Amino acid sequence: MTINGTDLQIAFCGSAGDGTIAVGDILKQAMAMAGYRVIAFDQYPAEIRGFGKCVSRTRVTGEQVYSMKQQTDILVSLDDSHAIPHASEVRDFGAVIYDNAPMSLMMEGEHISGHLQPGQIPYALPIREISERATGSNRGRNMVALGFVAGLYGLQQDVFHTIIARKFKTKPAAVTKDNTAAFDAGFDLGAGEFLFDEVSIGAPPAKAKHEARMLSGNSAVVEGCLDAGIEAYFGYPITPATTIMERLVTEMPKRGKRALQTEDEISAIAATIGAGYAGVRSATATSGPGLALMAEMLGLSVMAEVPSVIFVSQRGGPSTGMPTKTEQSDLNLAVFGGSGDAQRIVLAPTNVEGCWRCAGKAFEMAERYQTPVIVLLDLYLSNRYETVIVSPDERFEASSSKAMVPAKSGEKYQRFAKTDDGISPRAIPGQAGGIHTVTGLEHNDLGRPSDQANIHMDMSEKRHNKLSKAVDHPGITITKRFGDEGDVEVGILAWGSTFGESLEAMMLARDEGIKCAAMKVVMMSPLPEQPISEFMDSANEVLLPELNYEGQFAGIVSGTLGRPVNRLNMVPGTPMRVDDILNEIRRLAGREAKDAA
Amino acid sequence: MTAELKEPVYLEEKLKDIQDSGRLDFRSGSLPTWCPGCGYYSMTEGVTNSLNELGLKNENVVCVSGIGCASRFPFFVDVYGFHTLHGRTLPVATGIKTANDDLTVVVVGGDGDGFAIGGGHIPHAAKRNVDITYLLFDNGIYGLTKGQTSPTSSMGFKTSTTPYENREQPLKPLMMVLSYGASWVGQAYAGHQHHLAGMIKKAIAHRGFSYLHILSPCVTFDKTDMTYQNMNMAVRPLPEDHDSSDQMAAMIEAGKTDAPGLGVLFEEIRPTLSDNLDAIATSAGADIKAKTAQAAE
Repeated sequence: MTINGTDLQIAFCGSAGDGTIAVGDILKQAMAMAGYRVIAFDQYPAEIRGFGKCVSRTRVTGEQVYSMKQQTDILVSLDDSHAIPHASEVRDFGAVIYDNAPMSLMMEGEHISGHLQPGQIPYALPIREISERATGSNRGRNMVALGFVAGLYGLQQDVFHTIIARKFKTKPAAVTKDNTAAFDAGFDLGAGEFLFDEVSIGAPPAKAKHEARMLSGNSAVVEGCLDAGIEAYFGYPITPATTIMERLVTEMPKRGKRALQTEDEISAIAATIGAGYAGVRSATATSGPGLALMAEMLGLSVMAEVPSVIFVSQRGGPSTGMPTKTEQSDLNLAVFGGSGDAQRIVLAPTNVEGCWRCAGKAFEMAERYQTPVIVLLDLYLSNRYETVIVSPDERFEASSSKAMVPAKSGEKYQRFAKTDDGISPRAIPGQAGGIHTVTGLEHNDLGRPSDQANIHMDMSEKRHNKLSKAVDHPGITITKRFGDEGDVEVGILAWGSTFGESLEAMMLARDEGIKCAAMKVVMMSPLPEQPISEFMDSANEVLLPELNYEGQFAGIVSGTLGRPVNRLNMVPGTPMRVDDILNEIRRLAGREAKDAA
Repeated sequence: MTAELKEPVYLEEKLKDIQDSGRLDFRSGSLPTWCPGCGYYSMTEGVTNSLNELGLKNENVVCVSGIGCASRFPFFVDVYGFHTLHGRTLPVATGIKTANDDLTVVVVGGDGDGFAIGGGHIPHAAKRNVDITYLLFDNGIYGLTKGQTSPTSSMGFKTSTTPYENREQPLKPLMMVLSYGASWVGQAYAGHQHHLAGMIKKAIAHRGFSYLHILSPCVTFDKTDMTYQNMNMAVRPLPEDHDSSDQMAAMIEAGKTDAPGLGVLFEEIRPTLSDNLDAIATSAGADIKAKTAQAAE
């Protein structure tokens, strides 16, 4: 899919220590600064040191896209042993850039040149030698390679200079100087080479109306928290959610807000709920294993009707699972985890901008509906970068609480009073006339413990009814349909990060003449039954791709709506491949499947 | 007949005296549900009197409880209350205090809630010096669930879950809490009500994490071990020359569990969690004074 003339995906591949992730970072920052839309995803090993594989992929486009491409346009090898498995991902006339004089002795078959396909364009360079000549050290290899790519494809050299200077501004000046020198040496070489590739980068799109920010999913969550006026954060480190905490403990104190590392996940959510009870916007962030520990507390937040916000970045499970791999297998836990009938709000953003919006809206909703709100990300979404452009006019409500109405004299304040919308006016500690006790026990209007049949039935209904209004909450898209209108052969229902690949597959299927549409579902609980039902009505076959083994969302959709869907489940630990979804669309539409290109 | 004649006491007058004294201002309309003779009655009296004497406003006090016989306590006092989950009082209280420094936060719980399921939270509340008061009622048994063994049950004690005998050594909570770094540590006994009330007042008045260990016999499920009769014989005041600024001296007193010493074992003044969070914010460039002034308006 070529969009607006520019659609280039560049992969750097190397060992931990080669500076692979660092050059990828410079590339995406520079391209974003030049005005392109960028989406990028890095993969790195679980080990801190050693020779694990690092891959940094960056896709540069003229318009916003929602996923990485399956095929790479440019592959840069900083370590052939890791790059060789990715050589087949490069498309015809795509460039493969590698060192013609590797660092160490190689056996036959260990050099990438032996693994290129006919049609791929090799650029064998003396990368190490250039680095040594430019900087006196071989440590600038990554910058030489980056410079070569920039020179070859005619990217703006000055933008890179700015980003390199910014990246190393806290280091001694020589670091910036050496990196710039290595970059320039590579750039000059690349600019002098002939570009065989017929794809060249177009001019950047017209300048966006608003400031473009380069954010990862996790940093977008942080921005959303800050923009929504978070007052207190409590967390416990866990991959892949830790960066949310690291950024908040840095940013919140600057604004006079309080953030604290607790002794475990149970205390993290307990303190979050305590702060919520005391009337401030508070949150915690974790991954699946931490959410499992928090499940009992979620029930307390539901029962005591205290707002809380929980960010969950999923990784491979069950148990400790695969901490540095992506998966969507904590949906059941997020939606159902805990004892009793404890419905809560669960939002699952599909891209980085959505992470920002869901984060801010989560605080509004938690306060408004007096409930826990879980924002469900996954490692792929947490760690991937995108350019985010949001209008400064889009703001979150500073306060959305239904505040206590002072009781008439002689009347006792009823914390859990019955109301039409199920939401009881709320008093917070410090307010005169609002004294009450909240409890995890079933309770009456006053909050006094009770196990009477009628009270438990009424209160269960109240707690569920109030959430039904959340599907109409303003300022957030909870479902959206893309692609062909009206009746279609295949309708793809997708959630979370997998929606990006689904959208890409849907558009490719339409190019092949298949009538096709895709719907993203952002609110996973309570389930927006009506729009999902209507979407399913319009599709001959419904496909639901998700990165888990059991088909968790498919189970929720089928179980709630009583109708079947075609499941596509896999747990590779990496994002779903567009081709896998596309082949399933072809099969459901009665077309022949094709081999992955 | 040698008995002296006393002035008759009229109930109405007595009640009026009590009401005028403000002693009932922190009582809620709900009547406690504990067994007659339970130490929690003394605690209720001690807490409500202390809050009154410290001149606090009802709405500025939050009582936090977990699960156990103490869990209903917040319902019996006329302040804000949070009846939380088993063992999770301290992190909830930490959240409340972090959100609003102006609140006085009192946590109540038993030995099971605190030292079994919630044992992992006490060190951290203590080391952070969260400015809250932790009133721990130690009766050496699980009373609410009708008599199972607890982390402070003595060796050889028979309960429904140790029908042959408890062969585990009991924890020594005071020694633990001292080593965790609690900035105020004291011990009281439910059988000495006035002393208990005074200790509760001191614990609440302390700025920082205060831990009051209250020995409180379970009159229903313990007829042999930690009874009022036995405890009356065992407890003693701390020696007059006990230096409450000496942590090691406190440790030695805390170890004497056969003859529990009543009084303030240890106290120190050091920055609280909120002080430290404000210091962090100040060093990050925030204007904390402006924030405080704004809040005061």
